[in-house]
Amino acid sequence: MKILIVDDDPIVIQSCCRILEAEGMETRTANTVKTGEKLLAENIFDLMLTGIKMPGRDGFEMIQRAKKIRPDMPVLIMTGYLTSGTVEKSRRFGVSNYIAKPFTPEELVAAVRKARSVCEK
Amino acid sequence: MLFHLIKIHSIRFKLIASLIAVSLLIGLISILVGGNLLYQSVLDEANNRIRQDLNVARVIYDERADTVRLALAITASATEFRKAVASDSRMIVSEALRDLSDRLKLDFLGLTDARGRVTNRYGAAGPEKTPLLSANPLVLRVLEEHKTVAGTMVLDGDKLLAENPSLANQAYINVHAVPETTDAATRQDTVALTIGAAVPVFADGHPAGVIYGGYLLNRDTAIVDKIGETVFKNEVYKGHNVGTATIFYDNFRIATSVKDPSGNRALGTVASPEVTRRVLDQGEKWTDRARVLDDWYITAYEPIKDIMGKRVGMLYVGVLEAKYADVREKAIAVFTGITLAGVIVAIILGWLFTGRIMRPVSHLIRASAEISGGNFSPDVGPISKDDIGHLQKEFLIMTEALKEREKSQMAESEIRLIQSEKQASVGKLAAGVAHEINNPLTAVLTFTHMILRRKDLPDEVRSDLETVASQTERIRGIVKSLLDFSRQTVLTPEPLDINRLIEDSVRLLENQALIKGIHLSFTGDDDLPVFTLDHNQCQSVLINMIINALDATSSGGKIEIQTQKTGTADDSGVEIRISDTGSGISPDHMDKLFDPFFTTKEVGKGTGLGLAVSAGIIQRHGGTINVHSKLESGTTFTLWLPHQPINAHPETDTGQEDQS
Ligand SMILES: Nc1ncnc2c1ncn2[C@@H]1O[C@H](COP(=O)(O)OP(=O)(O)O)[C@@H](O)[C@H]1O
Ligand SMILES: [Mg+2]
Repeated sequence: MKILIVDDDPIVIQSCCRILEAEGMETRTANTVKTGEKLLAENIFDLMLTGIKMPGRDGFEMIQRAKKIRPDMPVLIMTGYLTSGTVEKSRRFGVSNYIAKPFTPEELVAAVRKARSVCEK
Repeated sequence: MLFHLIKIHSIRFKLIASLIAVSLLIGLISILVGGNLLYQSVLDEANNRIRQDLNVARVIYDERADTVRLALAITASATEFRKAVASDSRMIVSEALRDLSDRLKLDFLGLTDARGRVTNRYGAAGPEKTPLLSANPLVLRVLEEHKTVAGTMVLDGDKLLAENPSLANQAYINVHAVPETTDAATRQDTVALTIGAAVPVFADGHPAGVIYGGYLLNRDTAIVDKIGETVFKNEVYKGHNVGTATIFYDNFRIATSVKDPSGNRALGTVASPEVTRRVLDQGEKWTDRARVLDDWYITAYEPIKDIMGKRVGMLYVGVLEAKYADVREKAIAVFTGITLAGVIVAIILGWLFTGRIMRPVSHLIRASAEISGGNFSPDVGPISKDDIGHLQKEFLIMTEALKEREKSQMAESEIRLIQSEKQASVGKLAAGVAHEINNPLTAVLTFTHMILRRKDLPDEVRSDLETVASQTERIRGIVKSLLDFSRQTVLTPEPLDINRLIEDSVRLLENQALIKGIHLSFTGDDDLPVFTLDHNQCQSVLINMIINALDATSSGGKIEIQTQKTGTADDSGVEIRISDTGSGISPDHMDKLFDPFFTTKEVGKGTGLGLAVSAGIIQRHGGTINVHSKLESGTTFTLWLPHQPINAHPETDTGQEDQS
């Protein structure tokens, strides 16, 4: 399974890579929307995991572009605090699942699985 | 203020007006009733008096005849005179008669012999050469009865002429017909009314002659003026004699003190037909007000009878009614004066009185204006001793209460302001910190758990790592609470049965209570309507409050939860009371309870965010939280939630919420 991780904080990317790789997944990372977009265009991913708050172009911008390139790819978002506003907006952008930071490895893996299964339906 | 002044005055004027009305009413009644009563009694009095006056007049009238009778009787009883009459000694008789006439100023005087032949006539044209039989009724009566006779008699022109030729002239009276009399033609009359006496003269026991004399009443002034003088004291009122007297022959005036407009005695004028009929024809005494010439008089009439008992004339006395009518006018004037004085007194009293009453009232009015202007210590003026005083005292009590309330309200709103400012700033800070912590915390959680997956860890390292993991979980909890607190989380209201919500929360904590040995009970009001509330947030408020109560209460204590419907219609809602028998809250802590991070619990047990978050949630539902606590005996938290929630708090800035 090939997963694209987008976030501006390297420690978050590193944490995610560590957890997902331990599960035997292949990961590619981007710390800006621009690199993320480039990677998306060159590769086929099974899932994109992205943060929401990023300097410059934010997570929703990333999702928008990703959906243009790969409309069928599931999207999982990470956020500091889930509000009904975020939930509502995510639904409009076609987000498959959410996870609140901080999380344990088990929680992240479960969220990724759920996102993929939601998308397959 | 002007509006109030007008009001004051209107009360003042109303009071004065009613006082005036009362005094006017009393005045008018006394003018009408009193004036008339007085007048009536005066009239009655006048009527009584005039009757008496008439009696006196009658006495004066009769006295005139009596005087003559007495003088004649004295003369007739003188021996010398009797002898002279018997011997027909003319010299002596003449002498005696002259003497008599001089003394009494008689209009006629004469002597007859025993058969009635006139032997001597004093004042006649000349001595009788050929003695004639006397035609004088007086003489005739005496000759008939041999007794003294005195009184009134009518003498016609011839008889008068016979007695004294000059009398015929005096007797002549022109009778003026008054228009309303039937006898319209002007009458001239020389028939005269006379008054006098006749006395028999005896010589040696035998009648020797009759001596007689008297006065002509026509144009006589002696009697009427004497009446005016004795009875009425010649009182004059506005140029008129107050009292008048008249002698009527038949129905016209032959001697009177009534004056016509030109000031002459009103001789020859005629009495009214009514009087003539009643007095002359029917012989009654008559008393009433009557018009005499042009004035109204209170009058009394009675008939004059001649010596034969025949009604030949009338005697009249009258007093000017104007004098008594004046009494009424004077009474009315006096009463009017009194009424006016009453009105003036009413105005003055009313003015002073209302001034006294209204002064404190206007003070109060000014004071209340000051209160509405924000001054809670207004001057109410000196406290008066009457009912107004009560009002003033009550007013002062009210201002005190207002002052207190204003003060506490101000303090409360100040606290609330500080509270919400504090919460806002702490919230922002907390949110910022929480977000910054989230990322490193993710890393800590990740790597700790990754290491813990390794099977080759020495036990010591594993247990250390487990501590790291659990404490990181704790941090995660704190950060979660912080964010909960700082976020003005949007309510997602749904129809809710509050009793069910509380039952659910109680069930969640029943086990904990059981373990601690605390009796946890809930009594719901069955009447509660369905509320529209955010289920999760409200439940977290309840759970936090029950946990707080459990934490504060030791084994054997009690926690009671109650719901109760409050208010009606617009302000209806529910009151949720959570009371415990726990430690209570120290007064020092009371104002910090809702501060974020305020906790008295040991480190790791409390975050101090429960009540802070709860306050926010309840506030967003438009409700209130009240705390009542007593150290060592327990605490009661009272939540109030409105049935109709204040509408949706706007979603807070999503940008801030979406920080990651
Ligand atoms: N029922 C209660 N009895 C006594 N003290 C209470 C009660 N409820 C709250 N408190 C006090 O208020 C403080 C703040 O409570 P809260 O905001 O819920 O934070 P926490 O429960 O984390 O301490 C508590 O630490 C306690 O001192
Ligand atoms: Mg608490």
